Amino acid sequence: MENKIAVQIDDLTVAYNYKPVLWDIDLAIPEGVLMAIVGPNGAGKSTLIKSILDIINPIAGSVQIYGKPYKKQRSLVAYVPQKGSVDWDFPTTALDVVMMGTYGSLGWIKRPGQKEKKASLEALEKVGMLAFKNRQISQLSGGQQQRIFLARALVQNAAIYFMDEPFQGVDATTEKAIINILKELRKAGKTVIVVHHDLQTVPEYFDWVTFLNVKKIATGPVKDIFNDDNLTKTYGINYKVSVQQ
Amino acid sequence: MNLQEYIELVFTDYTLRTITLGTAVLGAICGMLGSFAVLRKQSLLGDAISHAALPGIAIAFLIIGTKNSSIFLLGALISGLIGTFWIRGITKNTHLKSDTALGLILSLFFGFGMLLLTYIQKMPNANQAGLESYLFGQAATLLESDVWLMVIVTSISLVILLLFWKELKILLFDADYTKTLGFNTRFLDILITSFIVIAIVLGLQTVGVVLMSAMLLAPAAAARQWTNSLSIMVILAAIFGALSGVVGTAISASHNNLSTGPVIVLVAGVFVLFSFIFSPGRGLLFREIRFRKNRNDLQLHKTLSFMYNIAKTHEDIAHPHTIKILNNFQGFTRKSLQKLEDKDYVTIQGNMWSMTKSGYHTAANLYDQLTKENNE
Amino acid sequence: MSNAQIEIQLIASLVAIACAIPGTFLVLRKMALITDAISHSILPGIVIGFFITHDLSSPLLIIMAAASGVLTVVLVEFIQKTGLVKEDTAIGLVFPALFSIGIILIAKNANDVHLDIDAVLLGELAFAPFDRLILGGMDIGPKSLWIIGTILLITLGLLVTFFKELKVSTFDAGLASALGLSPVVMHYGLMTVSSITTVGAFDAVGAILVIALMIAPAATAYLLTNDLKKMLLLAILFGVGSAISGYWVAHGLDASISGSMTTVLGLLFLLVYLFAPNKGLFSVLYRQKRQRIEVSLLTFLLHLGNHSDDETERHVKHLNEHINWQKVKARSVLDLALKNNMIIIDNDIVFLTQKGKIFTSEAIDYIITNKNSEIENMKDRFFLFRG
Repeated sequence: MENKIAVQIDDLTVAYNYKPVLWDIDLAIPEGVLMAIVGPNGAGKSTLIKSILDIINPIAGSVQIYGKPYKKQRSLVAYVPQKGSVDWDFPTTALDVVMMGTYGSLGWIKRPGQKEKKASLEALEKVGMLAFKNRQISQLSGGQQQRIFLARALVQNAAIYFMDEPFQGVDATTEKAIINILKELRKAGKTVIVVHHDLQTVPEYFDWVTFLNVKKIATGPVKDIFNDDNLTKTYGINYKVSVQQ
Repeated sequence: MNLQEYIELVFTDYTLRTITLGTAVLGAICGMLGSFAVLRKQSLLGDAISHAALPGIAIAFLIIGTKNSSIFLLGALISGLIGTFWIRGITKNTHLKSDTALGLILSLFFGFGMLLLTYIQKMPNANQAGLESYLFGQAATLLESDVWLMVIVTSISLVILLLFWKELKILLFDADYTKTLGFNTRFLDILITSFIVIAIVLGLQTVGVVLMSAMLLAPAAAARQWTNSLSIMVILAAIFGALSGVVGTAISASHNNLSTGPVIVLVAGVFVLFSFIFSPGRGLLFREIRFRKNRNDLQLHKTLSFMYNIAKTHEDIAHPHTIKILNNFQGFTRKSLQKLEDKDYVTIQGNMWSMTKSGYHTAANLYDQLTKENNE
Repeated sequence: MSNAQIEIQLIASLVAIACAIPGTFLVLRKMALITDAISHSILPGIVIGFFITHDLSSPLLIIMAAASGVLTVVLVEFIQKTGLVKEDTAIGLVFPALFSIGIILIAKNANDVHLDIDAVLLGELAFAPFDRLILGGMDIGPKSLWIIGTILLITLGLLVTFFKELKVSTFDAGLASALGLSPVVMHYGLMTVSSITTVGAFDAVGAILVIALMIAPAATAYLLTNDLKKMLLLAILFGVGSAISGYWVAHGLDASISGSMTTVLGLLFLLVYLFAPNKGLFSVLYRQKRQRIEVSLLTFLLHLGNHSDDETERHVKHLNEHINWQKVKARSVLDLALKNNMIIIDNDIVFLTQKGKIFTSEAIDYIITNKNSEIENMKDRFFLFRG
């Protein structure tokens, strides 16, 4: 049963300083999948997410979210950037960071009120961080910071979630907690797209996978395409992962 | 002159009142906007901009031929902005790094400004006297109209800050994310940068080109140590800035030969030093105290668990052992043994020690606790 | 030219050389701003040294000032290590504080100190020839010439002796420590030389020109070459060139010598910034434009290759409607492909030629293996016309 297409990418080419990073990518992500994007370092995984989200301008190609350009569909999309991309010594609290997730729906100038605060507290509770709501963010561990970022995306209450390496530098407990939340999101019919590094956990965590190395190598259900052949094509060397299924 | 007389003088003497008000307002706006510069890691941009403003002032004078501080401000603003955008151009289009770009613009613009200034000095124009004061600042040249200008600019930037508070805050924290939410980050970036440039230019007459950057950084750096909230940081920075202005003016007014700029900067420096050392959350003093306490606790715990391992070997945990065996253990001292006894973890009789029940229990739990902490 | 004029130019040139050498390494090590800090914060050192010796050109003064320069570096690094503020803030806090102390010391003792604040910023190069060094009753030249000459000789000696070590530790700190070269020793060695040079130059040309002389020639040279030796030579050349021409500009305008030296340096940098062959603004913009079209061409060819079995994807109209080119006109890409015999158009359907196919598959290989430089070589081999 093929669902609607949540994200449709056509002929997307992205270059940094006119060196191609992504080349002529065609990709259709069906609604309701929990998808991993895998590939070696420098394969353009983060760049793919960033160009879908209009943070980076592509040279050519188009991206559509439920049939319309991203600019018109912002409210349907939530983003969890790499944890290392921000300054965690910034003077603010965990609750404040989560509240930032509500800024998009508020628009310019309007301030968050009680409604937004309530939603943020709920999101904090969902990621098990309610007790830390007033904690300065620099005093949180790496795993806790990642949970805060996830809570911020949850507050956006979107249909599609993009996450850039959410498992990097987090402890085992947090990793389990995050993946449980992602699976819940999928159950609720949301689409979740994750840049992922750990090939071992792909079959356990995800149901859909895209292999990427500058070009798209393969995309589809994990059980069909997560095999040594595609891994070798993506990583270049003869790759053997014991796939437990 | 004692303090009371001075305060009376501030209210009665026109010049002193103007200067005090001017430096206070200037300190407040610099602290406010400086918080943003510090958090954006643009601390030294202020230094480059203030130096880059000098040729603008000189050219403004060459064009109009008389001293007019508003026209000078305009000239400073234009050349400050040119400097800012050239710095961006250099880092964007060449492989020169931002530190080189800042240093280049700072020194080249300033050198050019000095060339013009020395050229102007040789001109037979009596009006040129005011220009020199832009180097180190001369609060005494402040007029009531200058203060009004500062008040107006401060109010405008306050309104802008309040209006776009949410947007500026999220931009500072996470620019990419801000973009995905649909905010125009380019607009916000230009907005905050322009106001920082304006604040710098406003301060040139009072604090001077050379020291202006400190006026921007110091109150913000001090305020950051006392709070973990951006809004409180901005307010505190404004207060520290204003206080530095008032106190600095008072000190320089009550001594001969003390230009206001350096004194204000030093007062702000004292705020920073005090905050670095004594702030309860981040300050070096409390950090050192916490560090020592942790280290002592750690030593104590180490000794305790060493004793625990010995006591474990006997069926009766309270079986006495000689103190001598502890001497092989690094970190053991008479003092730490005494402390353990005080806490009722061990009992000491002559040359023998034995573990108490509560000591045994605590030691057994130590390992669990440590692994738990590591997991967090 | 009078004797004094020759001496001034000689001093200025020596200062320029002495500054260009440490400046090159500072620019390469991304520490250019530390010169800003040092040149300002040696002021209290100079003033205190002066209180002790009452002689502006005494060696003790130089040692005191150099010590306060090194102290600045240590202080900045200490504040950085506490993590209380970011590193650039640490620099921005330390030097204005020290500079303020210096100014206040001068102002409070204006009667005893013949140190002029203007002179601090601008130096007194014009008066340098009048302060002679008399040895055994014999006039052997201006004092500043001897001071800066000595500093230059020491700097040159250190440069020649430790050239290899400096080079390795600048370009690969990891390798340097693996080879047993302590990065700390190199770092503080460079900082000490920079401080001493700054002090020596300070007297002649003032605080601001020292920064300009350290950074600008090196930065200008860096836009022209990546070779360390060439960069050093060019930086020295630029420094000396602007020192001498700056002097004559000042002579003509009857204005500050160091101000006009800086201005000449600025104009020189502007020229190179705009027109440097590979890294200048115009050549960067030109290359970007060409690369933009060429990348689009590669994308286009790849697209044709990917859809060799689907004619609708290769229809000329599809280019405009579907591929959604940004910034580049589809027409110019198509023309370039045609001119280079990469494609043929038959009945509005685009086909890859054999040459186009080979080119595309080679390009993909290089891009996936991250051999970006190979792509430029390949373009040279395949292209008859560039974008």
